[in-house]
Amino acid sequence: MNNLVIGQFIPGKAWLYRVDPRTKILVTVVYVFLLIFANTWPAYALATLFLALTLVLTGQSLELYWRGIKPVMWLIIFTVCLQLFFTGGTPVLFHWQFLKITLPGLINALYVVLRFVLIVLMSTALTLTTPPTAIASAIESLLKPLKAIKVPVAELALMLSIALRFVPLLMLETDKVMKAQKSRGMSLSTGSLIKRSKAVLPLLIPLFIGALQRALDLANAMEVRGFESADNRTRYRVLSFSKQDLVAALGTGLFVLLFIGLLWIN
Amino acid sequence: MTNAITINNLTYGYPDQDPLFHDFDLEVQEGQWLSIVGHNGSGKSTLAKLILGLLEANSGTISIFGQQLTIETLAEARAQVGMVFQNPDNQFVGATVADDVAFGLENRQVPSEEMPKMIEAVLQQVGMADFADREPHTLSGGQKQRVALASVLALKPKVIILDEATAMLDPAGKSAVLQTLKDLKNQYQDQLTLIVITHDMAEAALADRVVVINDGQLAFDQRPQDLFVQGQALKELGLDQPFESQLSQALPKAPNQYLTKQELAAWLSTLKD
Ligand SMILES: Nc1ncnc2c1ncn2[C@@H]1O[C@H](COP(=O)(O)OP(=O)(O)OP(=O)(O)O)[C@@H](O)[C@H]1O
Ligand SMILES: [Mg+2]
Repeated sequence: MNNLVIGQFIPGKAWLYRVDPRTKILVTVVYVFLLIFANTWPAYALATLFLALTLVLTGQSLELYWRGIKPVMWLIIFTVCLQLFFTGGTPVLFHWQFLKITLPGLINALYVVLRFVLIVLMSTALTLTTPPTAIASAIESLLKPLKAIKVPVAELALMLSIALRFVPLLMLETDKVMKAQKSRGMSLSTGSLIKRSKAVLPLLIPLFIGALQRALDLANAMEVRGFESADNRTRYRVLSFSKQDLVAALGTGLFVLLFIGLLWIN
Repeated sequence: MTNAITINNLTYGYPDQDPLFHDFDLEVQEGQWLSIVGHNGSGKSTLAKLILGLLEANSGTISIFGQQLTIETLAEARAQVGMVFQNPDNQFVGATVADDVAFGLENRQVPSEEMPKMIEAVLQQVGMADFADREPHTLSGGQKQRVALASVLALKPKVIILDEATAMLDPAGKSAVLQTLKDLKNQYQDQLTLIVITHDMAEAALADRVVVINDGQLAFDQRPQDLFVQGQALKELGLDQPFESQLSQALPKAPNQYLTKQELAAWLSTLKD
């Protein structure tokens, strides 16, 4: 589980690490949104260029990103097959029994793969260079306007950061319970589907009870340290925009203009 | 001397259970190092939760520095009393060591720009300054407990309660935490009251005073050296003597008083003449 690259933070000192998390989140959102409309090769080339630049700025090795893509490989191949074999149109390039590959189908499949890979890599670049706490405070900051319509933004952000904090712990615990049950003869990998699903239950119950106990303890620990409400607190981590953010914003702005221009010409 | 904590006629039982405490009294003087021992389920953790207002007494009073604990005075009381719990993982709120120490400061609305200095200072006190950016799952149990202690220290409490804070630690982690406690006590002297709940008699022996809780009452209330010579009585309460006491009682010629490990070694070395 530890070799999962997507969603992981790896400490570093490259340029992108110094960009405010809010900027990074906004750029990622804009990028993903624009990709939905990409339908020409020049547009994809531009998007790929922008991604390549971003990846370079993370200062991480390409091999790392390759490891990030690998676990979703099968998903990619599956979508490619769907697109490839079930898109109609002419000319037909290949025909065998009920399977046929058409040129629009091929192009569509390539587009889908590219889009998928670009989105995955862009989000990886975001999480790789931004600690979870920073993402939580960035989301809080970005959602602040929603306070006006009584959305409990501070509570949600605190919940998110505590949840993120407990993910590694719960993973360790799952592993522990799994080993404990295995040593008692449980098997998750053999037997009928029903039998296997039944084997999940003795896994979930101890996990659930453990998590509940944790929650109660944590509530006590928080209360003892003076927690009353998520609203009346100051913040240790203060987000602030700097020169890097201006550069990032200008770069992204240029990309957006070029991209829209390309779509326009088409 | 003033009392840090005064408990009078306390009665408490969990809902639908027999009362754990009945007319319970306890006074803890300011600057004292008190150990609370007792068998499993004797109510030690419950007592700590009552003092911090995490549970509400059925009757009787608890006062912190003379101020009676009520809903109105709860926040004030908690500003003076800090607590370290048993499980190192379940009290780590922040995503990193520094964030965890910051949590209490954020609740107290300490201005952001003052926090880094304060965090650095308390991490220094517990010897964890080099770990400020580490995530909890990369720390040992003993390190996590020292962070928990730092998080409490950051709030400048006058009383710190530790509820079996070393119970889940290996010997090295345990002695690091205990050494930190000794250092803190040396530094703050009478400004800091320590209440240490423990099953470990060697840990209890560090205190000025040990109380044994049994059947919701104080069964013993003595200096550790006086308590530990009562081997049989302790056994009846489900407690062990420290190893040094067991050893010296097994030796027929040993003086009938509590000797620390060093004193016992010194005495043993006089035997060869
Ligand atoms: N939340 C709860 N609800 C109901 N009963 C409880 C609760 N917590 C503890 N008890 C019961 O109250 C009694 C005292 O528990 P407490 O945890 O205070 O004991 P303890 O002296 O701290 O024990 P240990 O040495 O095991 O930590 C026990 O019998 C326990 O089962
Ligand atoms: Mg307890």
